[in-house]
Amino acid sequence: MPHPHPAPSRRDFLAGLGTSFTGLALAAILHRDRVSLGSEAGWSPPDGKPHFPPMARAVIWLFMNGGVSHLETFDPKPELNRFAGKSIEATPYKNALDPKKLALSRVVVVNDANGQQRNTLFPTQVGFKKYGQSGIEVSDWLPHLGGCVDDLAVVRSIYTTDNNHGAQTQFHSGRHMLDGEFPNLGAWVHYGLGTLNDDLPQFVSIGHREYWNKSDGHYLGPEHDAVPIRVDPTNPLDYARPEGDLSTEEQRLGFSLVDRLDRLRGESYPGDPALSARIKSYELAFRMQRSLPEALDFRGEPESTHRLYGLDDPVSRPFGEQLLATRRLVERGVRFIQVQHGAGGAGVWDAHSGLRNNHAANCRKIDQPIAGLLVDLKRRGLLDETLVVFGTEFGRTPGSQGGDGRDHHIYGFTVWMAGGGLKGGVVHGATDEIGFHAVENRHYVTDIHATILHQLGLDSRRLELPGRKRLDIDHGQPIREILA
Amino acid sequence: MIRNGDGSLARRSGVLALLAGSLAISSTHAADRVDYARQVKPILSARCFACHGALKQESGLRVDTARAILAGGDGGPAIVPGSVGESPLIDRVSGEGDDRMPPTSEGVGLAPDQIAVLRAWIEQGARAPADDRPEPDPRDHWSFRPPVRPGVPPNGGGNPIDAFLARQWAKQGLKPQPPAPSGIWLRRVTLDLIGLPPTAAERAAFQADRSPDAYEKVVDRLLASPHHGEQWGRHWLDIWRYSDWWGLGKELRNSQKHIWHWRDWVVESLNHDVGYDQMIREMLAADEQSPNDLGRLRATGFLARPYFLFNRNTWLEEVVEHTSKAFLGLTLNCARCHDHKYDPIGQPDYYRFRAFFEPYQLRTDVLPGTPDLDRNGLPRAFDANLDAPTFLFIRGDERRPRKDRPMKPGLPALLAPEGIAIEPVTLPSEAATPGLRSFVVADLLKEADAKIEAARAAIAKERGRIALATSGWTRGPMLLDLFSWTLATRTLASAEANRDSLRARARADRARSQGIPASDLISQASKLERQAALASAELDLARATFAAGKPDPKKLDPARKAVDAARKKLEAPGDLYTPIAGARKTLESNVEPAASQRMPFPSTSTGRRSALARWIADRKNPLTARVAVNHVWMRHFGAPLVPSVADFGRKGTPPTHPELLDWLAIDFMDHGWSLKRLHRLIVTSDAYRRTSSARGADPATLVADPENRLYWRMNSTRMEAQVVRDSLLRLAGSLDETIGGPPVPSNDEASRRRSLYFFHSHNDYPRFLATFDDASVIECYRRSESIVPAQALALSNSKLALSMAGRITAQIGTTNDPEFIRSAFETILGEAPTPDERTACELTLAQWRAILKARNTTDPNLRARVNLVQALLNHNDFVTIR
Repeated sequence: MPHPHPAPSRRDFLAGLGTSFTGLALAAILHRDRVSLGSEAGWSPPDGKPHFPPMARAVIWLFMNGGVSHLETFDPKPELNRFAGKSIEATPYKNALDPKKLALSRVVVVNDANGQQRNTLFPTQVGFKKYGQSGIEVSDWLPHLGGCVDDLAVVRSIYTTDNNHGAQTQFHSGRHMLDGEFPNLGAWVHYGLGTLNDDLPQFVSIGHREYWNKSDGHYLGPEHDAVPIRVDPTNPLDYARPEGDLSTEEQRLGFSLVDRLDRLRGESYPGDPALSARIKSYELAFRMQRSLPEALDFRGEPESTHRLYGLDDPVSRPFGEQLLATRRLVERGVRFIQVQHGAGGAGVWDAHSGLRNNHAANCRKIDQPIAGLLVDLKRRGLLDETLVVFGTEFGRTPGSQGGDGRDHHIYGFTVWMAGGGLKGGVVHGATDEIGFHAVENRHYVTDIHATILHQLGLDSRRLELPGRKRLDIDHGQPIREILA
Repeated sequence: MIRNGDGSLARRSGVLALLAGSLAISSTHAADRVDYARQVKPILSARCFACHGALKQESGLRVDTARAILAGGDGGPAIVPGSVGESPLIDRVSGEGDDRMPPTSEGVGLAPDQIAVLRAWIEQGARAPADDRPEPDPRDHWSFRPPVRPGVPPNGGGNPIDAFLARQWAKQGLKPQPPAPSGIWLRRVTLDLIGLPPTAAERAAFQADRSPDAYEKVVDRLLASPHHGEQWGRHWLDIWRYSDWWGLGKELRNSQKHIWHWRDWVVESLNHDVGYDQMIREMLAADEQSPNDLGRLRATGFLARPYFLFNRNTWLEEVVEHTSKAFLGLTLNCARCHDHKYDPIGQPDYYRFRAFFEPYQLRTDVLPGTPDLDRNGLPRAFDANLDAPTFLFIRGDERRPRKDRPMKPGLPALLAPEGIAIEPVTLPSEAATPGLRSFVVADLLKEADAKIEAARAAIAKERGRIALATSGWTRGPMLLDLFSWTLATRTLASAEANRDSLRARARADRARSQGIPASDLISQASKLERQAALASAELDLARATFAAGKPDPKKLDPARKAVDAARKKLEAPGDLYTPIAGARKTLESNVEPAASQRMPFPSTSTGRRSALARWIADRKNPLTARVAVNHVWMRHFGAPLVPSVADFGRKGTPPTHPELLDWLAIDFMDHGWSLKRLHRLIVTSDAYRRTSSARGADPATLVADPENRLYWRMNSTRMEAQVVRDSLLRLAGSLDETIGGPPVPSNDEASRRRSLYFFHSHNDYPRFLATFDDASVIECYRRSESIVPAQALALSNSKLALSMAGRITAQIGTTNDPEFIRSAFETILGEAPTPDERTACELTLAQWRAILKARNTTDPNLRARVNLVQALLNHNDFVTIR
């Protein structure tokens, strides 16, 4: 742990600048944190190294806003068609309505029009086909993803507890909205692991974020918030280029003068860790200004890759661009990329009515791009070390809402993961015959977090901060059955 | 089936081998001689002391000494040395199910290697060193004992702060650093006390002042500045979680509209040096203490801030947590689901504390001059539901209230042994019936009169047009004029009826409040109100008939029915009328019934919050003054005396300088809890004047205290987000110094107001400030001081920084290069450049000029200087307070 050194010479000071940015920036921050948190005997902040050998080095976190219907994507339920139009009470599956099972729900908005019990069964709105060697069934709306199914570990038994869209935060942080604000998974990873590339931010967010999802670090500090990036090489992030008349050459001279002056200050303030960290932060900022536009510039990608991500189709192009940018960032060593699809209001997947049109259209927007990402990662040998997650805040009710929609459904829904040392072509867990409750190998959302952290070589209990007690359920358990 | 790559199999076995290795290592350790103090006690302390230690002795058992473990509890000895098999402790920690210790409700059990350590220790005879001490009695915890004024150590100089610090140095053989250069001190103290850098004139005046009290004069000037309240107001608003409202779309879910009145109250109170004790009493209970003083009622914005539309429990959880953390440094929130694990606070204490707040709700009172509550108004607390019960929630689960045992307001016995006396408060009639406030009716009448005036003016205009039209020959316009004439007369009739109704209702209100028999006035009010309703319905009908040039069939029928209904109501004589409201109740929740919304405001208040506030702000309270003094100290010195600023409990960190803390706390209370006096005391100390550099420091001191825990030098700190932006504006001479008022939209990047006036909520905040660790509205007892590239980009590239650089250059004025460089350094960094620094700047200026000339830029000289200023704004020591 670098300390302020006893009266170092100027040469020592300048030599110290060679160490990695994170090390120094962290040191500067922890220099302060140690004072505020140092009461805990034996506590020390993360050193940026995994706790055990990792299976994955990067995470791509795809989040579908609004609530994807598990029943029309990855969890086919023929019984829904058999009993379509019947009340659940009138089917052999009426015990799904056992109040004890329903007590899981923690309501935020009492008497809301949505997030209610929907008891008249609604038939599946799309057909399913078996794909690949594994023969896992995938919706006809997702033919390209179907082609990748042998790379997916499909977990059909996830549950959550917030029956409204606060479940978006819950999916990211593991905590119900009424509990307050907690760091999300990306922030924990950023907090726990050091950098893979000094020229790029390590925790990136792509795509519009809605209000319940706006920040990440919370008590870990704003430095663990994702850096929001636009897929626009001319304007990739806030303040990425001068908002005024200043040429690159002038600015380069300015940066080097600042660097020179800061280093000279090191003589008057020897051993000041903040000074060294600031010098490094300017170096990184200057490099980021150049490397981010390069990472987001697709001109060097062949036409075939453009097509692979669906960039030739205006429907899939926007998400395809986000995912091609994602691959280029992962390739360059970004650790954790949070990709949002369809945020705005409650989220585009929130099909309270017209589910058939809604999901058919939304699937078209994401199917080719996600399949393209998986294929691309795999052919570049990146899928082994990159864990891809496909998540959403909850599934949708087996019963109909208003005759053609489905409501929010927390008791059982599907999340899949791929790569990063996980098994492919497997289904884990199951919901009951009508897709209501997760009944086999049930997993709360933090089990997904635990699985990812485990693959990254992190033990979340060792990341805990003094005075910030986390519960067992916050940590979750890795889903061991899907680890390769 | 699953396809496994060879690589991943190999990697997986690598992990297994590693895990096996670590297990093997720990069992080897266990087989060695076990060190009780180093290996055994930490396990017991972390997992068992909370229930079997000084705080609690479940089943009569303590495990905080080896002797106590041997002695055991109700069930006999917990261990038998040398015999693991006969030791119940091992059975319990390695058991499964309900018998396991720690119980499943406490999370996972002990890890296998931890159990192995315990087994080995017992096998080896369960030996412990002679100095094995039990946990200290929680009642003896330092912060629960009232501070006792310590004697000031002799020979420390004039300021007691220096005397206390010097005693620590003497003990440890430390040597302090010399004072900072005067320019650095001036910049430090100015940024610290008013959040703005010194102006050129202020720098010159200070340099020229040779009087012995030159430093003190600066401090007095700064403390008297109205900007002082803005700077320190922002600090306290961090702690008190100031936030503008947020929700979804237009739905208000959190905090309140117009809550900026509370922000202004904070700024003004600090500028007037209102005692901190008084501020606490006003924030928690101004509605009971000064129920008719709108200025002071603003303080209860503290209670409006935690508002949450959807869940009253969440709302009150925030009130309890942050009242206790902010004022008492207690983590009462830890006792919501179970007894506190570290402090002597039982779960019932949590709910007793909540009961102080149970009756309160919010409303928005009308303020003079703006009857429209959507435009302005005063969000404030009041006791609405005087008998609202508080129930303990089993395991904190709101679905499991203990309805058989309602909780009364009360305090943890340790902190308030003699209990607390609660006296209900009778409210003056204007407080319970705010419509009686004279300005309310006056403003409404003014508004009504203005409407009448406007209606009359419209009629006069119509009359003119009709006269013109009838003098002509065409018939077409006549019909249209008839339409607008009817509309105009109906508008006037409605406006007049409204004014008459207002007057009559106000008269009836007044009579009733004075207890005068008022049946005539009431029936008159009832009649005129109904007349006004009829006039308004008739106006609507006229609009439906004429407004679009022809009748609107969709609106016509309902409008006719409304007129009939209004007429019917007018015919039936009544003694019901709507009193003038003067306030609007905030929804208690999204499902509050209409009847509850319409309830009159109670004429008494429970007095609970006053009682609580008096206890918190009582000088016998051992925590309040210490917590406040610590917050103030931290913001001056960049480090707190008690590092866990919001937790003074047993889990918190003990003070680095307990006597200094107590001396400051007592001195603070002795002088009317005056914050300005405290600031003055601190910033006039030698400690505050010292350099923050370690250059030339005594080597032994550097080795003994490299982190400067003992203040042998000053600490450098990073400017807070607001100070960064405000400094840019001030140096450029562009700062709009207007104090107070409604918030500036968070995306108004062209605004030149001080940063604390930006709209700032959970969802909306200015992006420039966010880059520099702006306060989180959820909780911010201490700001982060991150150093990240985004800050470099904001200062290099933002329009704000670039345009201010130009203006700062103009402020410095045209001189020769060396003069310009010196002046730019002094302005931006607070001190003159060293020769090396000057050379570096001259060199770069020349390079800039060369490329600018090559590009035929209009004024390469000026532009190069702007670039230099821009570079200095990116200098580490611009955002750093040295």
